[in-house]
Amino acid sequence: MKHTILQILLVALTATGLTATAGTLKIVTTTSDLAAIAKAVAGDQAEVHSICSGKEDPHMLQAKPSYILQARDADLWIRLGLELEVGWEPPILDGSRNARIREGTRGHLDAAESALILDIPTVKVTRAMGDVHPQGNPHYWLDPLNGRRIAGAIAERLAEIAPDGAATFRANAAAFQRALDERMFGAALLKTVPADRLWDMTEDGSIAAFLADSANRDNAAGWLAAMQPLRDQKIVTYHRSWIYFAHRFGLGIAGEIEPKPGVPPTAAHLRELAETARQQKVQIILQEPFYSRKAAARLAGEVNARVVVVANSVGGQPEATDFLTLFDLIVKCLTDR
Amino acid sequence: MRFSSVYYLFPLVAALATAPGVAQTANPDTKPETVQSLQAEITRLRQQMEEQRRAFEERFGLMEKKLQELSATAPLAMAASNHPAAVAGPAPATYLPVLSSRLGAAGQSMNPDVSATIDLNYHADDAKEGLSHVLGELPGFGHAHAGGEEHHHGVANGFNMSHLELQFSAEIDPYFKGSAIAAISEDGAEMETAEIETTGLPGGLKLRGGKFFSDFGYLNAQPSHAWDFVDRPLVYQLLLGDHGLNDKGLQLSWLAPTPFYLLAGIEAFQGDNEVAFAYHGEDPLPQRDGPRLWVGWLKAGPNLPGNHGLQFGVFGATGNHQEEHDGNADTFADHWLDGDSSFWGGDVVYKYNSPKPYGQGDFTLQGEYFARHRDLELVAVDAGGPPPALIGNRRMDDQDGYYVQAVYGILPRWRAGLRWEQVGLTNASELPDGASESYGTSYRVGPMVDWSLSEFSRLRLQLNYGDYETAEGQESVTELYLQWVVSLGAHGAHQF
Repeated sequence: MKHTILQILLVALTATGLTATAGTLKIVTTTSDLAAIAKAVAGDQAEVHSICSGKEDPHMLQAKPSYILQARDADLWIRLGLELEVGWEPPILDGSRNARIREGTRGHLDAAESALILDIPTVKVTRAMGDVHPQGNPHYWLDPLNGRRIAGAIAERLAEIAPDGAATFRANAAAFQRALDERMFGAALLKTVPADRLWDMTEDGSIAAFLADSANRDNAAGWLAAMQPLRDQKIVTYHRSWIYFAHRFGLGIAGEIEPKPGVPPTAAHLRELAETARQQKVQIILQEPFYSRKAAARLAGEVNARVVVVANSVGGQPEATDFLTLFDLIVKCLTDR
Repeated sequence: MRFSSVYYLFPLVAALATAPGVAQTANPDTKPETVQSLQAEITRLRQQMEEQRRAFEERFGLMEKKLQELSATAPLAMAASNHPAAVAGPAPATYLPVLSSRLGAAGQSMNPDVSATIDLNYHADDAKEGLSHVLGELPGFGHAHAGGEEHHHGVANGFNMSHLELQFSAEIDPYFKGSAIAAISEDGAEMETAEIETTGLPGGLKLRGGKFFSDFGYLNAQPSHAWDFVDRPLVYQLLLGDHGLNDKGLQLSWLAPTPFYLLAGIEAFQGDNEVAFAYHGEDPLPQRDGPRLWVGWLKAGPNLPGNHGLQFGVFGATGNHQEEHDGNADTFADHWLDGDSSFWGGDVVYKYNSPKPYGQGDFTLQGEYFARHRDLELVAVDAGGPPPALIGNRRMDDQDGYYVQAVYGILPRWRAGLRWEQVGLTNASELPDGASESYGTSYRVGPMVDWSLSEFSRLRLQLNYGDYETAEGQESVTELYLQWVVSLGAHGAHQF
């Protein structure tokens, strides 16, 4: 009896060993945006799965057995971090019994470490402030520059996990970054000014002065040129999820429909917000499809603004098939009149 | 500040160099006015030194502040402006988070995550002697108690506090993680759980040890504040008592390398459950060494697409059970039983995770079925007990029960649910005197509605209507619960 149990265990162990080594790399990401970037970097060298589909709010996800199965076979687990996945990542990682992807190993990549992070609290945060993330605002994938940086981090990590593919991963990441640069600035502008310099100018805001020059303005294309008419405009968003996008494109945020992060709107807050929005001449109210549109519609009526409902993640709407088309879609929705 | 002490020396050196007169103070024929002028000179130099020191300190303070600001707010922005186009820098030597913005968190990172659950409820029922009395009187499910030691956890009409649950958890080292729950009541503290588990075993294996909740079924291992109803289902209450199956022991579980989710576990426990696997071990009952209880379970889940999750489980447990009975109610035990107790059953859980925020549209359907079999031998009798001739005869019990419940997110943050329960579908006992008894079935139904203001607080209203087949006949009891439960501290994660 003891022998048979041992034999069964041994066979099972060998079987798991085999499944772990055979085949291509398996990457599991917590969100669809990270999956889109990982796909671009890994190319055909890895299978990439995302836990969130892009249609749901990653704050609210619940662990389920099939997620554990995905994590069980993963060689690399990539998360957004900043405690966004705190409610469901631990049971999945624990349940997977996959020592390769435990936090602190090289199979566990926290994308936030390579990203530019905003909204890092400078005072002690308490839960009375709502769903404030003590390490910073986790919606950083909505800054295209962060997509660029995350691609680099994924390439480097993959190069460590699978050194044979290192050159491919780095080349793929560079190609993704070039494509992103072109979508952001347009090919003509990139011929005259290096991409680094242009990203720098979007960071410190000097891009506005730069584009005031008609030669530069004529060369500019892509998201930068499309968003130019909205520069310095104030918008209202539902959740504090668009600050990265706004920062990169020079939009101002007048306020949020949620009185505190994660707290549903109240009538009193909406009255106050309407006042602010009127003062700041808000013309756009921006929100994700999964939030109720009632509050935004009401506010829009009061302040004569238009409501823009657009996905904030790859897969959230059919058009957003990858990281680049996500921004195509957002820019199109914001600029369509 | 260690820089500044070095720079104190600068003005000192400067002063010595620019004031040769200081070196001449030892000259014996120095005139008083020279002394005076020298003293004035020294005072002036001292003032100068002090001024310079202050200026240096001020500038260093500013520099330090600037450095702090830079590293706190924009370390990556600096990196970005230098090489935003580079494919990331050289690989870091370690994978620990290095963002300086996280230094605050890093300072606490070795501390265990700590959280506490506070659970207040108001209960009212219309039973003559309280609900726990009714449940204690259900024929076939009668409690096993050790003399007069039994303590009722039954809810009182009015306010009740569940235990304050103080939870700790942390990674112990690269091989183990640990967690513990101290259940603190007004009467003192109890160790609810204290467990260690492996984190790095190969082949999908995990070993757990300590005092922990058995992972059989669905509800048993869930903390009570995560339940969808205030109280535990009848079948749990009657077959396993007030604490569920929570014992000292070891668990080995295995996540199979199958294309669907398959988790198997085996547990060895000391065997100290108050209802199902009781142990007294005092004469005339035989002593038995632990582990006295073995549990096995299997959970499987198909890969459902999208936001659907499904899990099936089967389980079985077998162990030793001893009872002391007081047949004539004179507070002295008068007959003793010893033998085997086992239960088996199945559970199913389906969850739909709606894309709408704040839990609106989420749906959970769960159900569990248990059957138990007890085979006990009458080992001793005393005055007032059954006739001694019956010693060696057996008492057999077969009881079962199930519950099914559904919960739906009716509005953002609001959920409504309904639970239906039945116990005693099979309810038969064979007594040592050869008599065969068959008892009736009891049922209970309860709607609930709850409102979660955030992930950390919840208010709940629940009703139970039960029809119980007691020894004195049918008894109906209506119960009302109002619950206010909150959790403080670390953000917990919930299992499926």
